[in-house]
Amino acid sequence: MCYNQPGIKRKGDLVLEKFVINGGKKLHGTLQISGAKNAAVAIIPAALLVEGVVTIENVPDVSDVRILIDIISEMGAKITRLGRNSFTIDSTEIKSCEPPYKMVSKLRASYYLLGALLGRFKHAVVALPGGCDFGNRPIDQHEKGFRSLGADVKIKKGAVYVKANEIKGAHIYFDNVSVGSTINIMIAATRAKGTTVIENAAKEPHIVDVANFLNAMGANIKGAGTDVIRIRGVDSLKGGHTYSLIPDQIETGTYMIAAAATGGDVTITGIIPKHMESLTAKLIEMNVGIEEGGDYIRVFGKGKMRGATVKTQPYPGFPTDLQPQIATLLCLADGVSTVYEKVWDTRFQYIVELNRMGAKIKADGNTAIIDGPSTLSGAPVRSNDLRAGAALVIAGLVAEGVTQIYNVRFIDRGYEDIEAKLRDLGADIQRVSYDTEE
Amino acid sequence: MVDKNTMLFKVDREKPVEPRTVLESVYQSLKEKGYNPISQLIGYIMSGDPTYITNHNGARSLITRLDRDELLEEVFKYYLEE
Repeated sequence: MCYNQPGIKRKGDLVLEKFVINGGKKLHGTLQISGAKNAAVAIIPAALLVEGVVTIENVPDVSDVRILIDIISEMGAKITRLGRNSFTIDSTEIKSCEPPYKMVSKLRASYYLLGALLGRFKHAVVALPGGCDFGNRPIDQHEKGFRSLGADVKIKKGAVYVKANEIKGAHIYFDNVSVGSTINIMIAATRAKGTTVIENAAKEPHIVDVANFLNAMGANIKGAGTDVIRIRGVDSLKGGHTYSLIPDQIETGTYMIAAAATGGDVTITGIIPKHMESLTAKLIEMNVGIEEGGDYIRVFGKGKMRGATVKTQPYPGFPTDLQPQIATLLCLADGVSTVYEKVWDTRFQYIVELNRMGAKIKADGNTAIIDGPSTLSGAPVRSNDLRAGAALVIAGLVAEGVTQIYNVRFIDRGYEDIEAKLRDLGADIQRVSYDTEE
Repeated sequence: MVDKNTMLFKVDREKPVEPRTVLESVYQSLKEKGYNPISQLIGYIMSGDPTYITNHNGARSLITRLDRDELLEEVFKYYLEE
């Protein structure tokens, strides 16, 4: 289960909402994708390195982003909303290097505050991150990186303490490919003395987006998107720039899979098709129709789908954040499919919920065997994390009858207007509030 | 008869474009948005990630219409042969 999530504010202040989906309707139409949530939650902390005003556009209005904005506001950053998806951040007068414990522990990405505060103020105290529970999610590579940069790192009383007299460039080889560590060290090293080289770096698109943002503000980062990143430290980052986030790779993939699952015909626009190659290849293998253009992908049903083997890997491999959604699609395909989760220890908690809807999935360790095709039927189910929630929504769209999905707050962490977007495509989905736990 | 075989359509790739035209157009778009165009183009060539290229004036779509080796070939030809 996730813990300390948005939605649960205080005792007596619990927001309880569920999705009610009347399934069986094919999705049709065109859909515009929002900005990348995973880029937003890294770029907002990175903006603390900038002494001045920056404008960020195409920011998804999701709860993880709202929490982060609240956190940096509490720390002294001035936020001016320019619209639902854009705002300015003025970090000139940051007054605290200790973001509020309770707010920080609500989301995983809060650890990027460590890199940003260390880079600018040479010290930070940040609560250990929250987020969804996929088993052991250590921050040892972050610690290793900060120490290499000359910082003293301690973990005590549920928080990470980092302090340095001077941040010095270093040569860092990560023991494993880690997106969070790559971004965090890249942020901190932006204002180090000298050059930092990160080897065995992660290559996810949002790492490139963070580097682009920092470079636009005056940083000198080269090699993002490859496994070697070189950061030449600069004395300061100046504001006065506007930056627009890339489209969300995982949101795109979720809607591609939803279109395929319902056998519909959906064109997803404003995207970067290159980022979707691992999913596109898998859908083609499964006999799903794909038409690809410069900034769009059309996904359409072609009849019976074939089972497949999916193995999650760091980018450009198949993303772990699309694993629950593709597993749901594989339930509808002919034959036996296998899903290997190679990134996180335990990311199959949603399987019990899919099986309640009629799926035939057996999980053993990091492997799930799916016996398809299954006819899914509506049932009350519970979302355990963000992407598992999205998978259950896809299952609900396909299922015969009514599906009720509880714990919608997890889905709200990363999907902007999911029910409105799906309704525009013809889905019958409603968000319903209720007073007591059902 | 309807062809039921799996197909990948790449509609925008059908129109041929010249590497030099692409490079000049993308360079201009990056410059207009305040980026260091050379640095961004190198990032794209090295990583293959279109995130490096702004969406301004359709530059991102434009650059993906050519393979990176075609762009690099144009640069090397100009630098070493012309």
